[in-house]
Amino acid sequence: MASEASEVGKNKPSKRKSIFTNHEISMLGIRSNLVQASFSYERMHAPGWTWAQLPYWEKIYKDDPKGLKRVMTDNMEFINSSPPLYPILMGLLLTMEEDHVEPTTIKGLKNALFGPMAGIGDAIFWFTIMPIVGGISASIAKNGNALGPVLFFAVYLFLFWSRIPLAHLGYNLGTKAIDVIQENSKVISHAASILGLTVIGGLIASYVKMSLTLKIGAGNSVISLQKQLLDKIFPNILPFAFVFLLYWLLKKKVNPIWLIVVTFVLAILMSFIGWM
Amino acid sequence: MTITLVQGLLIALLAMITGLDCWLQAFFIFRPIIVCTLTGLILGDLRLGVIAGGLTELAFAGLTPAGGTQPPNTVLCGIMTVVIAATNNTSPATAIGLSLPFAMLMQYILLFYYSSFSLFMSKFDKYAAEGNAQKFKRLNFVPLIIVTLSFGIFAFLSAYAAQAPMHALVNSMPQWLTHGFELAGGILPAVGFAMLLKVMLKPRYFPYLLLGFVIASMISFSNVLPVALIGGVFAAIEYFRTREVSDLKEQIKDIDNGDDQDGI
Repeated sequence: MASEASEVGKNKPSKRKSIFTNHEISMLGIRSNLVQASFSYERMHAPGWTWAQLPYWEKIYKDDPKGLKRVMTDNMEFINSSPPLYPILMGLLLTMEEDHVEPTTIKGLKNALFGPMAGIGDAIFWFTIMPIVGGISASIAKNGNALGPVLFFAVYLFLFWSRIPLAHLGYNLGTKAIDVIQENSKVISHAASILGLTVIGGLIASYVKMSLTLKIGAGNSVISLQKQLLDKIFPNILPFAFVFLLYWLLKKKVNPIWLIVVTFVLAILMSFIGWM
Repeated sequence: MTITLVQGLLIALLAMITGLDCWLQAFFIFRPIIVCTLTGLILGDLRLGVIAGGLTELAFAGLTPAGGTQPPNTVLCGIMTVVIAATNNTSPATAIGLSLPFAMLMQYILLFYYSSFSLFMSKFDKYAAEGNAQKFKRLNFVPLIIVTLSFGIFAFLSAYAAQAPMHALVNSMPQWLTHGFELAGGILPAVGFAMLLKVMLKPRYFPYLLLGFVIASMISFSNVLPVALIGGVFAAIEYFRTREVSDLKEQIKDIDNGDDQDGI
């Protein structure tokens, strides 16, 4: 991890002496886990975001109480982005704060970046990594194999530690990071969406279990609706159709809680009349 | 089996640790696959915990807080699925359905905090304006402590104190109802996937959804890894293609701008 960070540093001749040690920047990555500490709908991550970076500003504005008040107040403004990507943003803004860049510039940049970064982060972490890692480790665990949870934990432990190189990346790239983020954000979330949706398609087929036990006809001409009709049309057609029914309801602005209720009512009804 | 007081307290401790993680999203040990496994360990039935973890994780696969809605709480769902399955000898799939009310109650507690923690904001603003770093840091611990304790207390009440009425309820359930809950546990992942689709699905991505669905329906493999790899192939192809297109656009723009714009 450290070598990765220093490699990034090598790309750019060190233009100034940093007041922060390597260790302190690593700790910024760890401290970025605090952003959701005082989460509320009003300011979202703002208090935790400020808390995580406070020791660093205290160092920068050691002899400037006015500066500290200013930076704390500025950062108490609304912010909501993807938690795993905060280290980059923190590192980047810390460089600027350290260089005493105009406060309005820093604030403007923060506000310009947190939205797009939320988009990339959600696409990568929640919609791609979570279904893949969760799906694979759950399918191992389902059979009673403890490797499932171990695998899941290992992947997320790795992602936890990856906050450290990300903080170094943001800190060392400085303002160069802005171009990198803006250039690549669309391409990356496009590619992540493709991967994510392919996986979700696979998950629907593998993990939504709906199968009719209903048989129709009488005497010798009894046919199983599932095996001799639906499976002949397309296997898993029921799960696929049901997901899209729920999707349609969501598009109609139905609360997700109702979808859970609909699912339970349907399942219990199907069980009661003996169709499933 | 019944849950002893020591086990109840251990479950409360587990709920506090994973609940704090659920709030901060640091280690992701708040996901059902981890919570169920650890609950199984506390109750002395690791295998049950792991199996329930796999099933519950799938049921919650798409239920993420990313779409702007807070899903039923994974910590309480994980704990109660294993507790109900262990104390009532029901299958984990049935237990998932029965654990959902607990998960939803915890979800509403958290939603209440999301709104009411706004009350702290004026205090934060005051300390920020004063430049009072010490008080600002200290105030951040208050919501953390409230959330952590809530998880512990609620999990203890659900797992330990409510086990007798839960047992009576499960025993009085007719067979069709138990089976209905089991079915619901199997269909539940659909809700999560629909929620993911609501956020992610654009017409241009529909072919990929269909591709993944068809591949997984046709090949019999125990997990989605092959599907993920094929998705990765298409993602890579598209990634390089999009990069190429944007490079071309840049070049065209450069030509259009003519020579006098050089060296910007």
